[in-house]
Amino acid sequence: MLQKKICMLGSFSVGKTSLVRRFVESIFSDAYQTSIGVKVDKKVVRVNNQDVTLVLWDIHGEDVYQKIHMSYLRGMSGYLLVIDGTRRQTLEDALALNQRVIQEAGKVPAILVLNKSDLVDKWEIDSARESELAVAGWTILRTSAKTGASVEQVFSQLAAATLAE
Amino acid sequence: MSSHSIVESFLTSQGYALFESLGKSEFLIIGACPAWCRDIFELQSRTTKRFRLADNSPFLENFLVDAENYWNSKSERSVSSGNWIERDKSGREIPLEAFALSLDKRKILILRNLSAHFAEQQQWFQTARDSLLAHEQLLSEIQKKEILLHCIVHDLSQPLTAISGCFNLLRLENLPPPAGKYVEAGQRESQRQELMIRGILSAFSGDLIAQQSSDKSGAPPPDLAVCAQQAIEEFSSAFKDKGVSLRFTPPPNATSDWHVVGDAPRLDRIFGNLLENTLRYSPANSTVTIGVEDQGESVLAFVDDEGPGLPPDLPPAQLFALFSKGKSHSGKAGLGLYFCKITVERWGGTIGAETRAQGGARFWFRLPRASEKSYERTPADKHEDSATTVASPPTSPRNQPSKTLRILVTEDTEINRELVSELLTRRGHSVTTAADGIEALAALERNSFDVVLMDEEMPRMNGLDATRAIRKMETATGRHLRIVGFTGNATDEDARRCLNAGMDAFVAKPVRMDKLYQAVESQPEALQQVSQTQSVPDTPVPASTNQPAAEDESVAAHLHRATGGNKTLQRSLVKTFLTDAPKTLSRIRRAIAKKDAQKLAGAAHAFKGSIAIFGAAKAVSMARGLEAMGRSGHLFNAGPQFRALESEFTRIRPELLAIYPPQKHKSKAKRKAKSRRAR
Repeated sequence: MLQKKICMLGSFSVGKTSLVRRFVESIFSDAYQTSIGVKVDKKVVRVNNQDVTLVLWDIHGEDVYQKIHMSYLRGMSGYLLVIDGTRRQTLEDALALNQRVIQEAGKVPAILVLNKSDLVDKWEIDSARESELAVAGWTILRTSAKTGASVEQVFSQLAAATLAE
Repeated sequence: MSSHSIVESFLTSQGYALFESLGKSEFLIIGACPAWCRDIFELQSRTTKRFRLADNSPFLENFLVDAENYWNSKSERSVSSGNWIERDKSGREIPLEAFALSLDKRKILILRNLSAHFAEQQQWFQTARDSLLAHEQLLSEIQKKEILLHCIVHDLSQPLTAISGCFNLLRLENLPPPAGKYVEAGQRESQRQELMIRGILSAFSGDLIAQQSSDKSGAPPPDLAVCAQQAIEEFSSAFKDKGVSLRFTPPPNATSDWHVVGDAPRLDRIFGNLLENTLRYSPANSTVTIGVEDQGESVLAFVDDEGPGLPPDLPPAQLFALFSKGKSHSGKAGLGLYFCKITVERWGGTIGAETRAQGGARFWFRLPRASEKSYERTPADKHEDSATTVASPPTSPRNQPSKTLRILVTEDTEINRELVSELLTRRGHSVTTAADGIEALAALERNSFDVVLMDEEMPRMNGLDATRAIRKMETATGRHLRIVGFTGNATDEDARRCLNAGMDAFVAKPVRMDKLYQAVESQPEALQQVSQTQSVPDTPVPASTNQPAAEDESVAAHLHRATGGNKTLQRSLVKTFLTDAPKTLSRIRRAIAKKDAQKLAGAAHAFKGSIAIFGAAKAVSMARGLEAMGRSGHLFNAGPQFRALESEFTRIRPELLAIYPPQKHKSKAKRKAKSRRAR
């Protein structure tokens, strides 16, 4: 079966692990448990009448304590750049990380994921900024690992994009 | 047991599994293979020593590429995979780390089970990241308060635009000498209030940022002796009222240099706070003396009184603590001396108080001298000053400009729009008005203008967006239209925002007639200087005689004061407000229902601006709160706040209707209808 390596990238506590757990196991926990290192999961999705195994690399959030080994991105078909909508800084950090990712892995399909859409009242990223990012060429999706909103969609959409490459 | 097997047993007990690479992804186990390793990598046979390790682990497969590169290199440092998680047969998560190293030309792979220490490591990371999140949260809260502070300052500045405008208009009348003098005094006081409002912003908004900007502002350091004498001039009438004599002791070495580290507006406030405090405790027929002393590397300023001296049971340092008040509680909030302390210390100085031997108290502060370089005046500086001196003939109100200009005034608050238009029309310019950015763009499509005056905060399209749109259109034509911004908050950040959006300059609210004329009539290259000199007072500021508006003042009384008793203007303002307010309230309601923070901020801002004309402090404060919620994006309390605002509006509506009764609405409406029919 066709396999696609998908990396989850972004700052710490943006919800990368929660998105994967929601997608793979349909589970969500409100308690924040920080990730150390990498965890690889697999899930088969059907895209354009074709089964594809997504090999999901949930990579720890980057911060002052842990840097991402760029070798983790080897063979990556696409990635989700995850942002916590309630923390504006996670967007800026993600965009900086994205530059390094492109340098290392070249241009591959990617989606900018504005996570925590259930907390939109507390968001620090306004629609004007979102529009700017869309104009800059980003595919943007708002998700909530808590409610499950758009979680399936974001993985399916990325899978489809990797197939189209 | 051989020493070799002892080492192997030790490594196994510590969670290590050792392999030798045989090439083609095959590995030979060295020593016994631990159970966890068999479980994870599904190494079923206990007798086989050769395995394909990475078949079931994409992570290890990826790492082996790095490992192979390392083994084929001559590098001496081993290579690590970093932590990763695998699941064993039971689904339990096992944290691992892999290392590649070369030993005697053998390619060695070590796998380490981190379970024993992982919980501790996890706890450490968790605590560290929780702290980072808490820190981010705290910063975010501070930012929200900053936004609220900006809103408050903006609101406090807003009525001053009208006040200053009225004084400007009065100056154009041929008033008899005493009245002219009163108008000048009123104008000076409104300018003083404007400076104080800005002082609040610079002193209490983002301490660090304010500190950095004040240090790098490029403004010359203040002359302590000059500030002391200005303070005397400012407070002399208040002291006189109480029968206290206020005097300046000239220093013995009058030729000394008194420039110190700091900035003049805040130094004025320090003197002001010390004098207010002294006045409170000075008995009638006593004398208060201000003086300065040369102390080598620093300069001392003191305020001596002949009052009761310091309370014997209160340590002097306590006087400068936050919310500290005298025993009689005759002071205000207990912030004045605290402000003096934090400001003086921020500039590297010290402050204190003591009971004088001859009776009375001495309050003093010592500031380091400013370096000579920091205030040497260059010819360019002098030229700048002369170009922007407010009293210079070209901007005198009665002098007509050399050229009549076509000016587009874009301002959402009607009364401000009227006043600015009136000032410019009287000056001989041709004025068109617009209430927001969209109207301004439409006006620019229809007509040509020489200058656009652009309010920064407006509903629908703000001044910054409108400016960007104009500049974008100009890329096609190659023309450059002068755009001068209005802003209620004249901080460096506001200036930067205006200029970044493409404005040529900005004028701080309340707009002063001379600054306004200078801004619209200056050559483009001189425009930016208008904004740079906004906070410099023209003349020494006299003692305050104006009383602030009482919070519980009635709408009618406030409106009477604001309009100078002009009944026609009052009715016109009430009529406009009563027509617009329900619509604006509906916009607020809709924005809350749709959780549209941006629209809420815009509508609340509009409501606040229009109701502020009638005093209505409570309603203004509620609308301000809604605006702040909109700006911060936190709408969870917006519903109750809106309901309170509606009640407050309902409460004051009858007062407004008393000024412009419904029958007048009707009769006017009827007249209009009649005239339409006649046409």
